[in-house]
Amino acid sequence: MSDIGLIAHLMRRAGFGASRGEVEAYAAQGYEATVEWLLHPGDPGDFGEDLAKRRAIGFDEGGAAFELWMVRMIHSNNPLEEKMALFLHGLFPVIYMSQGRALLNQLDSFRRHAFGSFRDLLVALSSDPAMLLFLNNNDNHADAMNENYGRELVELFSMGVGNYTERDVKECARAFTGWTLGNADYMAVRAGKNSFDPYGSIAWHYEYRPDDHDTGVKTFLGETGDFDGEDICDIIARQPASARFICTRLFQFFAADTVDAGGRRTIDEMVETYYSSGYEIRSVLRTLFNSDYFKSEQARYARVKGPVELVINAVRMTGASPNPAAGSAGANGATGPMGQAVYRPPSVEGWHEGKEWIESGALMERVNFVAKLFRDPSKQGVRDIIDRIASSNGGVYSPEETVDLCLDLIGPVRASEETRAHLVEFASVGGDVDLRGDDRGKSEVRVGEILALITATPEYQFA
Amino acid sequence: MFSLEYVKTIGGGRKIRPYDIAFSADGKYYVLNHATGFGAGRFTVCNFDEDIIVELPDNAGDGTFAQPVAIAFDRDERMFVLDEAKHRVTILDKNAEFLGEWGANGSGDGELDRPSALRFDRNDDCYVADQMNHRVQKFTKDGEYLLQWGSFGDGEGQFNMPWGLNLDSHDCVYVADWRNDRIQKFTPDGEFLAAFGESGRGDGQFDRPSCVVVDDEGYVYVGDWGNERVQVLDPDGGFVAKLHGQATLSVWASRFIDSNPDEKRTREASNLYPDLPHELSSPFHVSSQTEPHFFGITSLHVDDQDRLYVVDSRRQRFQIYQKRR
Amino acid sequence: MPQTNGSNGSHGDRKLVVVQQSGGNDYLNSVVPYTNGHYYDFRALTHHDPEDVLKIDDTVGFGPTMGPIKELWDQGKVAVINGVGYPNPDRSHFRSMDIWHTAEPEAISQEGWLGRAIREMDPKGENVLTAVNFGVGLPRALGCDGVPVASVGNLATYGLFPDMEDEWLREYALEAFGKMYGAAAGKEAVMGFLGQTGTDALKGADILSTAPEQYSSTIEYGSNGIAKSLKDAAQVMFADFGTRIFYATHGSYDNHAGLKTAHPQLWTELGPAVTDFMDDLEEHGEADDTAILIFSEFGRRVRDNGNGADHGSGGVAFLVGNKVKGGMYGEYPSLAEKDHLDGDLHFNNDFRGIYTSIAEDWLGLDAAPIVKGRFESFDLFEE
Repeated sequence: MSDIGLIAHLMRRAGFGASRGEVEAYAAQGYEATVEWLLHPGDPGDFGEDLAKRRAIGFDEGGAAFELWMVRMIHSNNPLEEKMALFLHGLFPVIYMSQGRALLNQLDSFRRHAFGSFRDLLVALSSDPAMLLFLNNNDNHADAMNENYGRELVELFSMGVGNYTERDVKECARAFTGWTLGNADYMAVRAGKNSFDPYGSIAWHYEYRPDDHDTGVKTFLGETGDFDGEDICDIIARQPASARFICTRLFQFFAADTVDAGGRRTIDEMVETYYSSGYEIRSVLRTLFNSDYFKSEQARYARVKGPVELVINAVRMTGASPNPAAGSAGANGATGPMGQAVYRPPSVEGWHEGKEWIESGALMERVNFVAKLFRDPSKQGVRDIIDRIASSNGGVYSPEETVDLCLDLIGPVRASEETRAHLVEFASVGGDVDLRGDDRGKSEVRVGEILALITATPEYQFA
Repeated sequence: MFSLEYVKTIGGGRKIRPYDIAFSADGKYYVLNHATGFGAGRFTVCNFDEDIIVELPDNAGDGTFAQPVAIAFDRDERMFVLDEAKHRVTILDKNAEFLGEWGANGSGDGELDRPSALRFDRNDDCYVADQMNHRVQKFTKDGEYLLQWGSFGDGEGQFNMPWGLNLDSHDCVYVADWRNDRIQKFTPDGEFLAAFGESGRGDGQFDRPSCVVVDDEGYVYVGDWGNERVQVLDPDGGFVAKLHGQATLSVWASRFIDSNPDEKRTREASNLYPDLPHELSSPFHVSSQTEPHFFGITSLHVDDQDRLYVVDSRRQRFQIYQKRR
Repeated sequence: MPQTNGSNGSHGDRKLVVVQQSGGNDYLNSVVPYTNGHYYDFRALTHHDPEDVLKIDDTVGFGPTMGPIKELWDQGKVAVINGVGYPNPDRSHFRSMDIWHTAEPEAISQEGWLGRAIREMDPKGENVLTAVNFGVGLPRALGCDGVPVASVGNLATYGLFPDMEDEWLREYALEAFGKMYGAAAGKEAVMGFLGQTGTDALKGADILSTAPEQYSSTIEYGSNGIAKSLKDAAQVMFADFGTRIFYATHGSYDNHAGLKTAHPQLWTELGPAVTDFMDDLEEHGEADDTAILIFSEFGRRVRDNGNGADHGSGGVAFLVGNKVKGGMYGEYPSLAEKDHLDGDLHFNNDFRGIYTSIAEDWLGLDAAPIVKGRFESFDLFEE
């Protein structure tokens, strides 16, 4: 049986958190087996998409598209698959693209490639219509180059500044001429003004235009040939800078916001795996999750929870959305005011994570959303916590005992001495908690209030 | 040889958001809009030539409709509007003045749970598809409960979230048994007669059928919603034909295009029937990218001139086809 | 150009209220060129009849439901800035709104023009309430690193744990929150920063929560959203927290349909909300120190589509206030088809000129770093 705290940590990072019952089940099968299960997504489950579609005509348009994704994040049997989709959306962001279906299709593409080779992921990204439109590759013609996508591919999506020349950018862009979307000009005009006319929105698909492809010889990163976009992805994937880029970003998303010496060593191991596995992201993640660094005490609560993580975690943990048809319990409207509206990242660089999530307005939104869910004893997840407390020892608990049990069952959350003292002070207002007999209802409300205050602590803002 | 010839498309340009339509005795279309606002009323009354005769207000008596899903005229040309979310029937005159209402949420006799279709028989009694109670109920038009049949399941006479229903010229009842991927046929009293179809994308197979209508000769037209097509069956349920939709610009849609020169120019250079990559080959994806195709069929009608009307809800229009024999 | 004296200028009492008309307010049916034949040609089905137009002069008038705005116009308190836009117009709501918010049409930027202005006014971020948004989330216009901004969805319930019904218990919870974040504030790195942020949040909420109880007024605002937002703004302003920027949003003005129904209806909400707010300012002695900017991300197509008009570019903005020099600014763009920009009125005034004028002449700030360049300003304010 693995350590509960360790499994809970894994599930917060490689998923959106898990209830104590789930954590115990994973612990029983063991840590490494749980990692393997996460790395091999199966049937994601039924999200009642036929019902969503029946009940709302525009079920995949505008904000409703993101609602579908939120529901999937909450209920998917494949938590890491959804977490990777969120990671890849932040890594390869598109903005101002309001064709909901095209964005859902992009997420499907991310899911298909999330655990495969980084090279294939780059090819898929380069043939994603929303990305092509966002970075103007529809304007990248054999006779009139637009280098926007070519530049971001090497600057933001792989190697990073300092690893290529301006000439490489141009040659890269040339190789991607002809990579466009179907009816590009019409779709670009419509996308430019979010047009739903005359007959509702039209989704997008990739199209390769051989007649618009620059077939000339290109020299890219020192290699020369009649390169197409796929050849460019081959070359990029081989570069040490690319390996370090993807491994570092995975490390920062899953392990720690800042990279220290131990982190650098872990990234080195991930880079080794990157090459030995043929750039396979699954293998790289396995190295990360099984690393001593990831499993160490130091890595726990070393990341500020992103708003989507925070909100989905709270909805899952409380059972606020008991099934897909119940929707996302407000998740989709909640993350924007906290600073992370999906598909509305602040720039082409995605969200700046970590400390950047912390801002006074956003903090209030976080605390209010999560506390409201946890203070409601009628929510199944809250009930489960209360039942576990009630059955743990006698049924009557001092404020200290109550706080410690709550801290354990909601996380375990590691509270500082001061935080714990103030929680106990708050819990003491009503004296002992009695979960036996007639007074149980009143005490359940009090446990809910204590849980709510725990979710408002500084410590709870970290994952 | 049976055939259906495309006639025209009505809708687009944000004029209507049709979910269901009803025909008045003088040949006008009463379009029930699933969304209102920006000048579109709850009901748009228009004709074959796309003249808008009047927009009627969103009058459900005690406020507005929540999720209206069906409209039908009784013999006195009163409008019966079924609201799925309010679990009730509202009766309006042809100016949308409130006349009455009936229906209450529940599972007892005559109670409704997310009802999804309403049609009249020749005696002016009406049948309601009672979605979440997995049954069909029959009422007088004043809401007096007459009879019911069905329960949850996939056996004969059982249902899984039925959606549309309709009657043939003998008042036999056809039900789109949505999550069972089939059409069931019953006598007027609910005795099981036949079931057509099974799950799948092939001919005679269905994916979540939403609606059904039967013409004078007994041909059965099925809104094969998940497969984004209409299938035509002979009276015994044999496959006859299928349609995927071939909408063209309506008068309203043309007006939109004319007022947006950038869209007009680029649209004219576009292929509206594109070839799609393999990961986007499902009927849903094809319809999401092929504007002329049906997308989200929510109701079907035939008129006395052998025309078939297909309500194409996600594309804000209906398409009209002429039957030829 | 008038003299300015940089940050913390001499106009420390002056306030700016921004009302964003989200969705693309239709220019032609707001400021109606009612004697121009093209208007009736292009708006065959959606024009306002000349007898309904609230005439300003021989060429233009306000839309029929803009009576309150016309009243303010007659008092010389409304500046109408014609043909506003920016080069290479973008017809996407999101992108065009971001351009107006950041004043950067060429690049995607995260920094709002008002955020930059706030930084100039309060460089150390000493007042957490220098700017207050009345709505959910933070408009990008107010966003700027190190600039605290409060976003108030509903002033009456603003704060932490708003749904804790038991006020007594809520006090304990707030006290515990304050102590926990106070303790964290003394720690290192991210935890310390978080502690400070929590402490600030609590402080801001505490201050703001006192606004409604301090407020008294004879004005009765309407019950619609924009009226409520402006009433909340008045409460915060009169409570003297040092707030200089107030932001509110109204809409949606995305009238692809309903130019004759929904669009006039929007003005029946906005007009009275503005006049009520102006009266409230007058009653509380703030009218001479407050200016209201009303803007939208773009105007709509010249030719209607039957009963609405689609996304366009050249639009109109309004500036309202006692110290605003009322009148028409800039030319009304030509309606002749040959002068259209892809079916739109061709913008002829860069919106950054309005911002320049507000920054320099009203707020007393150097405009260049705020609007990212030098733009010809309008002479919009009285000396």
